Amino acid sequence: MGEQGKVLTGGIDAWQVEGVSLASRFILGTAGYPSPQVLADAIRASGTQLVTVGLRRQLAAAGDNGFMDIIRAAMAEQGARLLPNTAGCTTAREAVQLAHMARELYDTSWLKLEVVGDEYTLQPDPLELVTAARQLVRDGFTVFPYCTDDLVTCQRLLDAGCAVLMPWGAPIGSGQGLINPFALRLLRQRLPDALLVVDAGIGAPSDAARALEMGYDAVLLNSAVSQSPDPVRMAGAFKAAVAAGRGAYVAGVMAKQDFAVATTPVTGNPLLLGETP
Amino acid sequence: MSDVAENSGGGTLCVQLDGKPHEVVAGTTLAQLVAALGHEPQAVSTAVNGAFVPRGQRGQALQPDDVVLLFQPVVGG
Repeated sequence: MGEQGKVLTGGIDAWQVEGVSLASRFILGTAGYPSPQVLADAIRASGTQLVTVGLRRQLAAAGDNGFMDIIRAAMAEQGARLLPNTAGCTTAREAVQLAHMARELYDTSWLKLEVVGDEYTLQPDPLELVTAARQLVRDGFTVFPYCTDDLVTCQRLLDAGCAVLMPWGAPIGSGQGLINPFALRLLRQRLPDALLVVDAGIGAPSDAARALEMGYDAVLLNSAVSQSPDPVRMAGAFKAAVAAGRGAYVAGVMAKQDFAVATTPVTGNPLLLGETP
Repeated sequence: MSDVAENSGGGTLCVQLDGKPHEVVAGTTLAQLVAALGHEPQAVSTAVNGAFVPRGQRGQALQPDDVVLLFQPVVGG
């Protein structure tokens, strides 16, 4: 949000979503962890203040083995918020209905809006997404749409009143990182006042750092932590990478140059080789 | 289910509950079905025929072939 070069007061570099201040720029997903305790420890290690959750049909799966209790306890401990998603929806109508159910169950109007248009890539459907976003904003939701990096779709989502845009880095769960940095940079450049979060596809902490270096306000990831052999340590690694990337963006990354530029000042050095006594 | 029986005329009807046929006493409300399944009212969200039914509006009697879905919290990305 155009904060490059700003002076941070007391090291605090929070971002604001509709008046809510979030000190952490690391949004963490809660699926796929080997145990509730590992999830709880990963949440603590990440320092996150926003975690994603979902809804499932009652008979579609077995019990959750205490995962939700662990999430709620960890959230209370860290003063964090829940961000329910509409995973699995393929139409705007479905997503709107599920969003209302999520708001009732989780007692929050914040929503990660997902409307999938292709089952193979899980690529968002831009038309259904915009339709759903318009309705949900009217219904009082704070909408975080999971979208592609298409500039015009992103602009339409902003026009619909979305609070945050969450373009993909790569397909969900692929761990491929930022496969189209040009498009992501363009989004940042063309939408300088929008809150932008890279969601999905991040595999390594360096991917997260890169997104923050580009000026993205935060990252959202799940599999990169939950599928690591050591999710807790990986959550900590991502926390450090996010902080590093953000710090680099605020400080200002040097401009790239085509040719070498001498670093060490050598003019007037009496010991420089080649000088004759 | 005793409350359900008291409200009914004694017959039964079949609804689709999470994709499976489920028989209820005629006159059963959505709230009563949720309770009969062992859920606290706030533990699930409900939809009938594809439309969200808020917790405070579960008092209507279910109709034959209604498609009832219950949703619960789960981990997610």
